[in-house]
Amino acid sequence: MFKKNVVRFIIIGLTLVLAGYSLYWTIAYHSFSDQKQEELRTKGALGKYESRIIRLGLDLQGGMHIVMELDLPKLVETLASNKTPQFMAILNAAASEAVANEEDFFDVFRRKVNDSDLKLVRHFNGRGFKNSEILDGIEDEAKDAVNRAMEVIRNRVDQFGVSEPSIQKAGKYRIIVELAGIKDIARARDLIQNTALLEFILLKDPAITQSFIAAADNYLKTGKIDEIKADAETTQKDSTVALKESKDKAMSVKELLGGTDSEAAGTAADTGLVVDEEIYKDRPLSSLLRNVDNQIGVPMRNVYAVKKILDNPEIKKLIPFDSKFLWSARTERRTLQDGTTESFYILYHVNNEPGLLGKYVSKASASLGGSGSQSSGQPIVNMSMNSDGARIFSKLTGANIGKQLAVVLDDKVWTAPFIKVKIPDGSAYIEGMGDMDEAKDIAIVLRAGALPAPLTIVEERTVGPSLGKDSIAVGIKVGILAMMVVMVFMVFYYRRSGLLADMALILNTIFTLAILAMLRATLTLPGIAGLVLTIGMAVDANVLIFERIREELERGKTVSAAISTGYARALSAILDSNITTLLTALILMQTGTGPIKGFAITLFWGITSSMFTAIFVTRTFYNWRIEKHAIKTLSI
Amino acid sequence: MIRIIKKTDFPFIKFSKTAITISLVIIAIGVISLIFRGLSFGIDFTGGTLIQVKFNQPRTIEDIRAVLVTVKLENSIIQKSGDNEYIIRVPQGENSGNLVDVVKSSLNITDQNILRLEQVGPKIGKELRGAALIAIFFSFIVIGIYIAMRFQFQYSIGAILSLVHDVLITLTVFTIFQLEVSLSTIAAFLTIIGYSLNDTIVVFDRVRENLKLYRNETYERIMDISINETLSRTIITDMTVFFVVLCLLIVPGEIRIFAIAMTVGSIAGTYSTIYIAGPVVVFWSRRFKRPNK
Repeated sequence: MFKKNVVRFIIIGLTLVLAGYSLYWTIAYHSFSDQKQEELRTKGALGKYESRIIRLGLDLQGGMHIVMELDLPKLVETLASNKTPQFMAILNAAASEAVANEEDFFDVFRRKVNDSDLKLVRHFNGRGFKNSEILDGIEDEAKDAVNRAMEVIRNRVDQFGVSEPSIQKAGKYRIIVELAGIKDIARARDLIQNTALLEFILLKDPAITQSFIAAADNYLKTGKIDEIKADAETTQKDSTVALKESKDKAMSVKELLGGTDSEAAGTAADTGLVVDEEIYKDRPLSSLLRNVDNQIGVPMRNVYAVKKILDNPEIKKLIPFDSKFLWSARTERRTLQDGTTESFYILYHVNNEPGLLGKYVSKASASLGGSGSQSSGQPIVNMSMNSDGARIFSKLTGANIGKQLAVVLDDKVWTAPFIKVKIPDGSAYIEGMGDMDEAKDIAIVLRAGALPAPLTIVEERTVGPSLGKDSIAVGIKVGILAMMVVMVFMVFYYRRSGLLADMALILNTIFTLAILAMLRATLTLPGIAGLVLTIGMAVDANVLIFERIREELERGKTVSAAISTGYARALSAILDSNITTLLTALILMQTGTGPIKGFAITLFWGITSSMFTAIFVTRTFYNWRIEKHAIKTLSI
Repeated sequence: MIRIIKKTDFPFIKFSKTAITISLVIIAIGVISLIFRGLSFGIDFTGGTLIQVKFNQPRTIEDIRAVLVTVKLENSIIQKSGDNEYIIRVPQGENSGNLVDVVKSSLNITDQNILRLEQVGPKIGKELRGAALIAIFFSFIVIGIYIAMRFQFQYSIGAILSLVHDVLITLTVFTIFQLEVSLSTIAAFLTIIGYSLNDTIVVFDRVRENLKLYRNETYERIMDISINETLSRTIITDMTVFFVVLCLLIVPGEIRIFAIAMTVGSIAGTYSTIYIAGPVVVFWSRRFKRPNK
C-alpha cells in the first residue's frame, strides 16, 4: 500500500516537472524586456521560445483574420475568350442563383449551360470541344487559382513581420489568412489583396557582389568607406557623402547585434550566431555568409543579422545603385562538414530593372524531362510565353548566355537558372529541380504571376493590440477571481478536504495551460471562458466525492473505508458526466469555427486534466494522511 | 461538518406535472415571442460590420449617430463600451464596399482609433448559423447514444428532453429581452448543456445504484430517493458554478451576455434535471416497461 502511494507521488511529481518545463518558455518569454527580446531575435534565439509558448489568439494579442473567396464567375469571365451577350447572361444568372440557393457555382453553371444551346467551344480556346470537357477544365483551373493565390500570399506574409502567420484553405475555394500581432492593418489588407508581381531579373556579376561584400566588411570594421574597394558602380557622389557622415562612427559588435559580449558568450553554445567572434570582428558581413553551391547562403540564424546590416543606411549606399539584394523564397538544407544539417536562405544580388515581366507567361507546368534531353527523367518546369514575351525573352537570353536569371515573385527569388542558350520562341524549360514537388511549386509561381486569381474578402476580423491586452488583463483577473471565490467556498464548506480540492484546482489550471503549450494550441478569449468554466466542472468532481464520503461516514464507516467507498461510488458519476462533456467538446472542436473551437479546446483538456487532479491527486493525499497519521476523524 | 441542507425527502415526482406545466407555459411564451420578435442575431450570423472605436475626445452616442446619418448609415446600432469607446454595428447591405473608409472619414478617425473591426459577409453568416445548429444537433445525438449505452434507452430520452428544455428556456430569455445571439452565445448554450447534463447524469447514476439496492420500491420512489440523496451535491455544485458565472457577469460586452445565458441556463439545468429528466424516465418506464415488479 505504502509503495503504491509512493508510485502515485512520483507520477504526480513527474507530471508537475513536465508541466513546469512546458510552461517555462512562456514564463521566460513574457518576462523578457522588449530590449532583451530584440537582442535574442538578432541572435536567432528567440524562435526557440516563440515556438514553445502558449500562443495567444487574435482576440488576445490583436491581429487580423481574413477569409477570402475565389470569385468564380469573375474567373470564368476572365478565362472566356469570346463573351457574347448570351454567354454573359447565362454566367450572371448562374452566379446569382448560386448565391441565392447556396449552391455550388459550377453545379448551377453546368446545369444552365446544358439547358441552353450554348457551345462552350465558341467561348473558350484550347480547352477541348465538348461542353463537359471544357467545364471540367475550368473547374480544375479554379482549383489551381486557389493554390496560386495561397502561394502568393504565403510568399508575402513575412513582410508583415508576423511570427506565425497561418494560411489555410477552407472548402474548395476559400483561403483563411491569420496574422497575429499585426500593427498596420490597412497595409496588411492591401498586401494580401494586391495582385502578384512576377518578374525575371538578371543576377549581378559575382565579382561585383564580391566587391560590395568586401566594402561592407571594411566599413563595418573600420567605420570608413574604402574607396578603392567600393565598387566602381557606386556613384562617386554617394560614397563621398557616406564618407563624411560616417567618419568617426566605428560600429561595434554590440551596436550591431545588441546586448553584451558576455551574454552572447553565455549562450553561444547553441543559440549564438553561427560564427566565430574573432572572424566576426575581422569580416563582420562575410563571416555571416556561407558558400552554398557557389551562391551566397545565409544560415537561418544569421538572417536577421544580415538583414539588419543590409538595411543600414550607410551600407545601402555601398550597394551598386542599379542593383538590389533579394532573398530566396525557401531554404536549402545542407549537411555540414561536422555532419549536422543546417538550413540556408540564399541571398541574390540582382539588377533593379527586371528583364521580363511575368505577365507575358502564358503557360507553365511541371513534368519529367523527355528522353534524349539532358535532364531526361528529371523533374523540370516547362514555360511558354505569348508572342510579345517571346520577342523580349529572345533578346534577353541571347545577350546574357551564361548568366543567371532569377524568377522573382513579389520580391522573393524562387529559382535562378543559368541561361544556356538563346530562346527564340518563348518556349523554355527550367531544370535542376530538387524533386517533382519543387517543380510543381515553381510552375504554380510562374502561373500566379501570369493569371492573378480574383479574390474577394468575405469575412474580416481585426482586433487592435490595445484591446487584446485589455482582454487578457480582464480574462486573467476574472479567472483568478472566480477561482478564489470557489476556493474560499470549498475551504469554508469542506475544511481541510476543501483545501485538498483547492490544490487540485490549482494543479488543474497549471496542467491545462501546460497541455495548451505542448499542443501549440491557441488561447482565445472564449478559451479563457472555457478555462473558467472548467473550474466549475473540476470542483464538481470533488463535491461528488466529498458528499459521498460524508454519506459513508454518516453510515458509521471508518475514515479509510469511507474514503475508499466514497471514491469508488462517486467514480461512475464523474466518469459518465465528464465523458459526455468531452464528447460535446470533441464535436465542437471538429465542427466549430473560431471562438467556439477555442472554447472547446480548453474545455476538452481542462476536463481531461481535472479527472487526474480531482480524482488521482486528491486520493493520493488522502492515502498519505491515512498512512502517516492513521487519522480517526476526517476534516470534511 | 457544515451542512447546507439536512437529509431531505421531497416527493419531487408528485409535483412534476405542475412543474412541467409551468415550464411549458414559459416555453410557449418564448415560442410566441420567437415567432413575432425573433432573436437578435449578431453580425456573426446576419453578416454586417462591427467597428469598435476609441475616440481621442469625448463623444456622445447622439453625436456619432448624427454624423453617421449624414453618410446614410442611419440604421447603425451604436453602443457605449468604455471611456470614449463605442461599438458601431452596421447591418448587412448598407453601403458595402468601402464602408470602413466612410465611417473613418465621417467620424474623423484613423486606424489607430479602431480597436476592433469585424466584417462578415452574408454567405458566411448563413454558414456559421448552419454550423452552430449542426454542432448542437450532433452533440445531442452523441450524448443520447452514450447515455443509452451506459444506462438505458429511456434515460437518453429524459436527458435530451431536459437539454431541449434548457435551451428553449434560455432562448426564451434571449428573445424576450432581445439579447444578442453571437458565436459566444452558442458557446454558452453548449456549456449549459454540459452542466445540465452533469446534473442529470449524477442523478441517473444514483438511480442506477439504487435500483439494485431497493428492489421492492417503485420507479417513482427510487427516483425521488435518488434526487433527494444527490440534492446536497446539486446545490453545492450549482452554487460554485453560480459564483463563477457571477464573476463573468462583471466583464462588459459579449462575455456578460455569455454570463447571462449561463445564469439562466444553469438554473434551468438544475430544475430540468429534477422535473424533466427524472419524471420522463419514470413515465416512460411505467408506460413501456415493467421494471423491478
